Amino acid sequence: MLPAVVVHGGAGHIPKERAQNSTSGVSAAARAGYIVLKGGGSSMDAVVEAVTQLENNPSFNAGCGSVLNVKGEVEMDAFVMDWKTLATGAVSAVRDIANPTQLARLVMDKTSHACLTAEGAKQFARSMGVPEVPMESLITEYSRMRWRKNLAPDANPVECQMGKMGTVGAVAVDSEGVVACATSTGGMLNKMEGQVGDTPCIGQSSNIHGQIFPEGHSQAVMSILKLCQSAEAASDSALAYMKSRVDGLGGVVTVDPQGNWAARFSSRQMAWAAAQKDTLHYGLYTGEHFTQSIDEPH
Amino acid sequence: MSLCNRNLKMSAVVVVHGGAWAIPDDLAKASVDGVKAAACEGHSVLKRGGSALDAVEAAVRALEDNTVFNAGHGGTLNTEGEVELDAIIMDGRTLGNGAVSSAKNIAHPVTLARAVMEKTSHCMLTSRGANQFAESIGMATVPTETMVTEYERKEWEKHKNYVTGVMEDFNAQWAHDTVGAVAVDCSGNVACATSTGGIRNKMVGRVGDSPIIGSGGYADNLSGAVSCTGHGESILKVTLARLIISHIEQGKSVADSSQLSLQYMGNRVHGAGGAIVVSPSGQWAATFTTERMAWAAVDHDVLWFGLDPNQRSKEQLSN
Repeated sequence: MLPAVVVHGGAGHIPKERAQNSTSGVSAAARAGYIVLKGGGSSMDAVVEAVTQLENNPSFNAGCGSVLNVKGEVEMDAFVMDWKTLATGAVSAVRDIANPTQLARLVMDKTSHACLTAEGAKQFARSMGVPEVPMESLITEYSRMRWRKNLAPDANPVECQMGKMGTVGAVAVDSEGVVACATSTGGMLNKMEGQVGDTPCIGQSSNIHGQIFPEGHSQAVMSILKLCQSAEAASDSALAYMKSRVDGLGGVVTVDPQGNWAARFSSRQMAWAAAQKDTLHYGLYTGEHFTQSIDEPH
Repeated sequence: MSLCNRNLKMSAVVVVHGGAWAIPDDLAKASVDGVKAAACEGHSVLKRGGSALDAVEAAVRALEDNTVFNAGHGGTLNTEGEVELDAIIMDGRTLGNGAVSSAKNIAHPVTLARAVMEKTSHCMLTSRGANQFAESIGMATVPTETMVTEYERKEWEKHKNYVTGVMEDFNAQWAHDTVGAVAVDCSGNVACATSTGGIRNKMVGRVGDSPIIGSGGYADNLSGAVSCTGHGESILKVTLARLIISHIEQGKSVADSSQLSLQYMGNRVHGAGGAIVVSPSGQWAATFTTERMAWAAVDHDVLWFGLDPNQRSKEQLSN
């Protein structure tokens, strides 16, 4: 059952014309994470690799392709956690870097803090020799178009949120049974400057008693998280609770130290992929679960 | 503001803390006086039928005004000698919450956090965005010189040369005088609030547990309200507030839930701290694993307070 990696590219409503890119993107990221694990890499290395791929892929709301805040700028949040030591690292509202997840990992490895925000995060990036990239390089036509649309006075922000590409993330368990997670996002479309969602907040975008990893409308996700016995039951229970308690929709990817995993969502779609025992699993719509050999091209 | 009859008023309780750490003797009296005054502030709000949310905000504002505590005025300095403030407030009735992190030079970060909750569709604003929002709602910024005490400036100078914020063996010796309050009102609604300047000489932009829902605080009418203090990075790793709430959900008492959770934090990540908890039925606890924690509570017109382990002093409040 070990090792295994599960990734998601966002829970929400993915327009048909973007669906193919979403599924191929998460599949490629799952493959990349799996290669790291098979090569003896740690679960932390695997999740960072997988999420880095998603950040570099302009189809997702993380790194390049991030949604824009109300001023038309990119501000990103990211989080990593290692369950062996409960070590965590996070950045929030960071600008002008390509891979916030890698910066979050540096916060974990190189500082005695758990989270750095905004200008402080950027200063730290500089001190670590992380290259600064022009904000323009992170902005796509699609994100600019959605931002403009959402500026209209009659725009429905929640509607628009569900129509966006979502937060990305990955969970993994390595051959030693150590689990890790990583999340990354550009946040909410047209958010206020400095808005921080669930992603960099421990316990919201990750959970210490397994690998619960919710994504979705961050206000709702921030309010609750629950646990059950199996990965699938736990995920479904948490999502149902979020719906009934605060009327929020989202998605969860989960893996436990034994390699049991689940990808569950209450939104219309969630692009997800998992790799285990040389098999690639993936899906987009509710109920979908496709499999193929990991070596087969997607 | 909710109206209530005499019977319902009986369950209204407020508990406050002024930080869990090895509070030195020369700060002890001021710390205890400070939490007692803040608890009384919260109590006045509840007594006239105010909500738990109003009560925790009032109590924490009193602590933010008091320069003996590391919140608002009296906040610690980061490595560049600036004040960066974090706060959270949460309404157990709706699970609504608001937070600010790394906000500069705001006298009452808890009020700014409440504004985030009530005037925006977001839960947290950070740094420049938080300050811009403050300006947009007419909340003034305060010059750094006014916010920082002589004591703090001296301590900052002294520690500037040490490696910043390193948690070596036992972190209880570092000042962790975050402040917080929890309350239950006469309608059975609970709320929590936590506010801090963070740890001395922290890196610029460092965010600790205080403004993070589930770590620095959590409130849910179905179980209770919690506010935590102590070593922030440790509290985050175990999501201390949410952990305490989970134990309550499993049927344990507020005292046992706090005790178990703090012990877990000590065993698992070698972190020390404290927590105040109140349940919707008015049960409350103030628990800590550090040398001291300044705390106070008002329950049935009795003012309880303490500093050292196992200390529970009381004073009758005049009606």
